[in-house]
Amino acid sequence: MFMPDFYDFCSRAKTISGENALEKIPGHLAGLNANRPLIITDKGVEDAGLIDMVRDAMGDELQIGPVYNNIPVDSDYKVVDEIAGIYSRESCDSILAVGGGSVIDTAKGVNIVVSLGGGSLLDYQGAGKVRKRLNPLAILPTTTGTGSEMTLVAVIADPDRHVKMGFVSYFLLPDLAVLDPRLTKTLPPFLTAATAMDALSHACESYYCMEKNPLSDAFALRAIRAISENLLHVVKNPDDTQARLELANASTMAGVAFSNSMVGMVHNIGHTIGAICHVPHGNCMSILMPYGMEYNLHRRAGYIGELLFALGGPETYAQTRKNERPEKVIALVRRLNEDLHDATDGKHPRFLKEIYNPQGEQAIPKSMLSEIARNIMADGARMYNPEELLPDDARMVLEHAWEGTPLDRRKIKKGGKK
Amino acid sequence: MKSISKSVNKTLNISRYPEIPPGTKLIKKGYVFVMLLIVGRAIEAASKVDQSVKKIFGDLPERFTFYLGVAPGGPYMVIGKDKQGNVKYLGWNLYGRKIDLGLDIKNLESAFKVFTFQESTAQAFAYDRFIVEGNLPQALAVVRVIDIVEIHLLPKVIARLAVKRYPKWSELSPVKKHLNRVRIYLKSFSPGLIKVIYRNL
Repeated sequence: MFMPDFYDFCSRAKTISGENALEKIPGHLAGLNANRPLIITDKGVEDAGLIDMVRDAMGDELQIGPVYNNIPVDSDYKVVDEIAGIYSRESCDSILAVGGGSVIDTAKGVNIVVSLGGGSLLDYQGAGKVRKRLNPLAILPTTTGTGSEMTLVAVIADPDRHVKMGFVSYFLLPDLAVLDPRLTKTLPPFLTAATAMDALSHACESYYCMEKNPLSDAFALRAIRAISENLLHVVKNPDDTQARLELANASTMAGVAFSNSMVGMVHNIGHTIGAICHVPHGNCMSILMPYGMEYNLHRRAGYIGELLFALGGPETYAQTRKNERPEKVIALVRRLNEDLHDATDGKHPRFLKEIYNPQGEQAIPKSMLSEIARNIMADGARMYNPEELLPDDARMVLEHAWEGTPLDRRKIKKGGKK
Repeated sequence: MKSISKSVNKTLNISRYPEIPPGTKLIKKGYVFVMLLIVGRAIEAASKVDQSVKKIFGDLPERFTFYLGVAPGGPYMVIGKDKQGNVKYLGWNLYGRKIDLGLDIKNLESAFKVFTFQESTAQAFAYDRFIVEGNLPQALAVVRVIDIVEIHLLPKVIARLAVKRYPKWSELSPVKKHLNRVRIYLKSFSPGLIKVIYRNL
């Protein structure tokens, strides 16, 4: 059993989960002295009718302010600054974020600017800059992956510098997280697959990376079990609301886990790919996850092997020898990707070369791999990866992930204290 | 009322109650101070000797200044790039300087663990022992510089404890490593050291 010399853990967002959870929001906001929320969402969510549903659920109990729906795939500080202006002009007193990772991170960014003042989000870059309680923020996740409703982090891009900026503060934790199965009911199967695999990557990385702790471990293992038992079923049976609620809870639990244990190279490389190639985060995570495990195997075989109980179930765990469990975990993640690829008629990519942009072109040309590898040094997740990851190492991993071949383990550089 | 207050004063002797300063672990503080001075000078030297360090500083903005220190109240080391892009160890005084990036280790005990190599820098980050004031990618660049400098300064058996991965021969040949080590030590303890100490006194 692992017990770190020191760890801290904080998860104080109130969570309401279940049928009709949306109807409880006005009461909770009233408890925070808020009744005029600005709604931040994206066009896809609004077109799916979710904003109307949220409005209906609130009834007349709130004076809902304007709805901002022009959120890009990657949250962008310029959009944050624009929404902050609207919030102030319209005299809003709180924020409802209805959407996935970009919407939630944008909402957190807006909350920083409107609560602390200042002209731009850029004034608050870096850890330790947000040191005051922010305005009320309620998060309604419509995907089953980001876990942002439980994190103290917001990742927001600076398109001019091609970097993703990390904002870290306990005050970024929202006041309320609402998990209602109606919110994820319209999520297409391929997006359900990508976002849930993102949640799985949060849970797995938090379990074997450097800031691992016993409280996060408990959340991570429960999340992995829920995802492995329900993901493929939901992709094949999208109307099963109970299973969807399981996935939504898994995403939230994985969020708690990785918010307190941080993540490693899978997110390091994934964030960098997202910043340069603008591809969906969940796709990168699902593809890179087995590579992250392979790369760190010589340092973390024990912890990766322990994941088998949650991922493969007790029978598989009991039937597999201890020294074979880590490899079995990697194989199961790869098989899950294959199964999701088949279940979504090929829309769930298995390798980086299978990711296409909306124009049908390859989103990550092989020629971009070097640039991606060079830029990994600017992402904070690199620090928490058990094995050192430098641009040459990232390039090697990227080449294998692009082609879809397992890592050549002989090429992994090893050294230092285990 | 007056008599009660008088008796309290007499019993507790409030008017003559001494101010109790926080305890200071002088030996540990002194050790960390010296280590910060050595690392600071070595960073200046490595920026001239090691290509990776040179490149990392080259990518940082002009006149970039950062400090690494112990909260609260130090000791600190301050490093800055001048107008020509030369990296300088500026001493231990923060006052009167425009700092772009601050790396504070939360307390002296944590700093002592880092500088006695009981914990690597990455492990210290994982245990949340650092406070970063400023841009995170720049902080990561500085941590990478510190890792490289530690590889140059320390014998392998200790450096392996301080960094995640000690470079293999194929990445850093022993000849180059030892040559760089000698150059860094010579530059670190050159007369410039006396000059910078004098300026900070």
